[in-house]
Amino acid sequence: MSRYIFVIDADRCIGCKGCQVACKAENGIGPGENRNRVFDVGPTGVFPDLEMYFLPVMCQQCEEPACVAACPTKACRRNEADAVVMIDAETCIACRACERACPYGALTLNRERRVMDKCTICEQLRREGEKPACVKNCPGNALYCGDIDDPDSAVSQLLAQTRPEHIHKLRDTGSHPGNYYILRNAAWQDLLPRELAERRGGRRQV
Amino acid sequence: MMYGGVDPSIADSNALELYFDSEIKALVLWGTDPSCSCPASGGGAVNDQRAKGVKTVVIDPPFTQDAAKADIWLPIRPGTDVALMMAWIRYIIEHRLYDAEFVLKWTNLPYLVDTETKLMPRAAVSSDPAVPDTFYVWDKRTDSMQPLAYPWDDALEGTFTVDGRVYKTGFTMLKEQVADFTPERAAEICWLDADRIVKAIRLFAENTPGGLAIGVATDQTPNSVQAAMGACTIDLLLGNVERPGALMQRFRTSGTFDMPNYPVPICADLLPDEQLRKRLGGNEHKGLGIWFAGHPSSILEAVLTGKPYPLRVWIDRSGNKLGAVADSKRWQKAMERLDLIVHMYMYPTSFSAYADILLPTEEWLETNMMVETCNTLCARQQVTHLWETVDETVIWSMLAKACADRGDEECRRAFDPEFMGKNLPYWSSEKEVFIHFLKRIDFDWEKLCWLTPYEYMPRRDWQTYYVYQWKDEKTGLAQGFNTPSKKLEIYLESMITLGRTGKPFSKCELPPASKDYEPLPYYLEPHESPVRDDEVSREFPLVLTSGRVPYYHHSTLRNIPFLREMYPAPEVWVNPRTAEGYGIETGDWVWVRSKRGEIRGIAVLTEGIGPGIVWMERFWNPETLNTKTHGWKEMNVNILTKADAPFNDVVGTYTLRAFQVQLEKADGAPEGVWLNPEDFKPWLPKPSGRTKEVFVK
Repeated sequence: MSRYIFVIDADRCIGCKGCQVACKAENGIGPGENRNRVFDVGPTGVFPDLEMYFLPVMCQQCEEPACVAACPTKACRRNEADAVVMIDAETCIACRACERACPYGALTLNRERRVMDKCTICEQLRREGEKPACVKNCPGNALYCGDIDDPDSAVSQLLAQTRPEHIHKLRDTGSHPGNYYILRNAAWQDLLPRELAERRGGRRQV
Repeated sequence: MMYGGVDPSIADSNALELYFDSEIKALVLWGTDPSCSCPASGGGAVNDQRAKGVKTVVIDPPFTQDAAKADIWLPIRPGTDVALMMAWIRYIIEHRLYDAEFVLKWTNLPYLVDTETKLMPRAAVSSDPAVPDTFYVWDKRTDSMQPLAYPWDDALEGTFTVDGRVYKTGFTMLKEQVADFTPERAAEICWLDADRIVKAIRLFAENTPGGLAIGVATDQTPNSVQAAMGACTIDLLLGNVERPGALMQRFRTSGTFDMPNYPVPICADLLPDEQLRKRLGGNEHKGLGIWFAGHPSSILEAVLTGKPYPLRVWIDRSGNKLGAVADSKRWQKAMERLDLIVHMYMYPTSFSAYADILLPTEEWLETNMMVETCNTLCARQQVTHLWETVDETVIWSMLAKACADRGDEECRRAFDPEFMGKNLPYWSSEKEVFIHFLKRIDFDWEKLCWLTPYEYMPRRDWQTYYVYQWKDEKTGLAQGFNTPSKKLEIYLESMITLGRTGKPFSKCELPPASKDYEPLPYYLEPHESPVRDDEVSREFPLVLTSGRVPYYHHSTLRNIPFLREMYPAPEVWVNPRTAEGYGIETGDWVWVRSKRGEIRGIAVLTEGIGPGIVWMERFWNPETLNTKTHGWKEMNVNILTKADAPFNDVVGTYTLRAFQVQLEKADGAPEGVWLNPEDFKPWLPKPSGRTKEVFVK
């Protein structure tokens, strides 16, 4: 079995949010809906001694996804082949239970199609041997995806080359998030997306 | 002018060493934030360099994305950049951090300057452009003033009296010019910490090769040209030029264009001298000649007062002038006085609301364009065409044709190959323009489309270093730089000639400017300033600067739903300590007022801006285009900016950044503006097939 996840090099994210736009254009996501978002983390400190980094957040491909557990129709499930969490549009009733359950704000209601929507690591592109839209369009080369169970995959290699103290995950609230974050040049802030949105210290956190 | 090559602008993709695995060790981003201004090109390239261990210094009032990733951030007070540059120069000279051998051999700093005329006396004047004039140096051996033939010299510093006249070397002139600017003095002027200034200078000066890139920030105050001179001086003193890893380079080009990527032949040599002499502001600010441009504020005055002559027609090819020009309310008054306004653009903007005639141009996906990037030539190709639009290259030609048909002699001659000489006679399609350029390399448009991206030269041949050391075939000597002296002209004597005659930009002699231009950078305190204790600073105590966000380019893209939903209204960054006095919280709508007007924005309290400073993104609101504001009066920073004197002496820059404002909490958002993501749905693209070609003759 393989497990597809993202490894995000947060030092390399320049906060341009190009990934958000690329995702929407590729996947037909409307205004106010997001499969992924980039948050400013900071600035922390007092002027002029500050730190700030940028945090792209998408589905964390959890081991025990809260969204799957919350779904009343089993529309939300993990792929057997690659462990990616998917939503079956036929059986989804758009009750938004998954959205409420997810600690990472990774699910969004697709108003046009009246179904819940989430990152599939661009399944349609991967099938064609291409990279996801966000990865392809990231000017900073901050986003990597691949099979974490394959020691030769780009994501496994990247993690193997990174010192353990620089590898982070978003706070685990019981679902065991799969994605990894690399941050060397700033202190990791243990904040969930909704907490970051409330702080909104810098630019608008949409 | 100092270097004779292109400036290393990152946003203009001129800093070519960034795109390769080069020897860069350190970069200074001075008022430029590639992560905002060009994320997909320079932003990514600088990011790659950082990941390889290249050190960066960012000098910018707000804590930008690039500042967040910098080794040292200097949050400078807006508008004081030249003071800090002079401190850098002073420190580099005082601590002998400059490349002494390079400065002696390859800059004009050893040449003697007559302190009275500020000119460099000549021992011999050359009429051959390949051979420079012969200048004087101070010969230490004979202790006398001696002519020294190009290219080597041997004395750098000193003040000497000969026959009652005092001469100093260019180096001494520079040293004396910056003498007052100690790190402590700069710290006081620029609201910075002196130790941090020194750390930044050392980080850059001790890690060569590298480069210092400026952006438009320093171009937007009356001290603009001096900032460019200061920035260039720092790099040249450190020898950051034409070495592998330096940003200032003269790499080869394909030879296709007259000006880099300039799509239309400009025929500058055909402009009658009398036209050039009466160009508004062109005599006072002769540096504008490099872009064949007029001076906006002089144009504004001419429309409002009819002096020195009245203007009647405005043909505009740009986005939203009312969102882009300083003190836009005065421009509205000027527009009311004109007989005819024509707006040529891709979609309606606030400016269109005041136009008599609209000329819709094709969007970029509808046009073809030749692009040269590094050692490749590319054909950007039309993918669709919708509705009644025409390529703007062709619209100009159509206008000329229409005038020619109605008997205008000049326009008729624009189509006459004999009159146009080496220039392209006016054309009927953009393909004709492409052929004009592409035939120089034995290409046509179809071939370029087929071979895109076409590598016109292998990278190794294209990436030419040390071009100044190449032997000139005629003289047998090193060819030097593209300057009159063939040296790097850190003492920019040609500023004086420019101000007096218009040379080298003007093809005819122009009357002298009211005051000589200075050959060395000088610091000009902003006219409206928090350190001046006057009426303006008492009523408007905060200094405002603006800047970019990654989602928009200049005044475009506010009508793109996926971008606008991320940043629906301009943020007004205020330090929490400053905001306290105004009772403002993050998310509040605030009034931002200057002497010239008032607008609203959304307050964001952040440590990312210093106390006493306000940062704001410029804006306009396409959604209120058809209301009485026409979209430019709600949130447009240029309602606040300053279009009157003082101007930069050389190019006439007015004040778009670094002026005084006050804040007040507002009751809410301006009427009719869109803020929620769903609001922008009407602007989502509607699928359409290819529409019928419409071409009005």
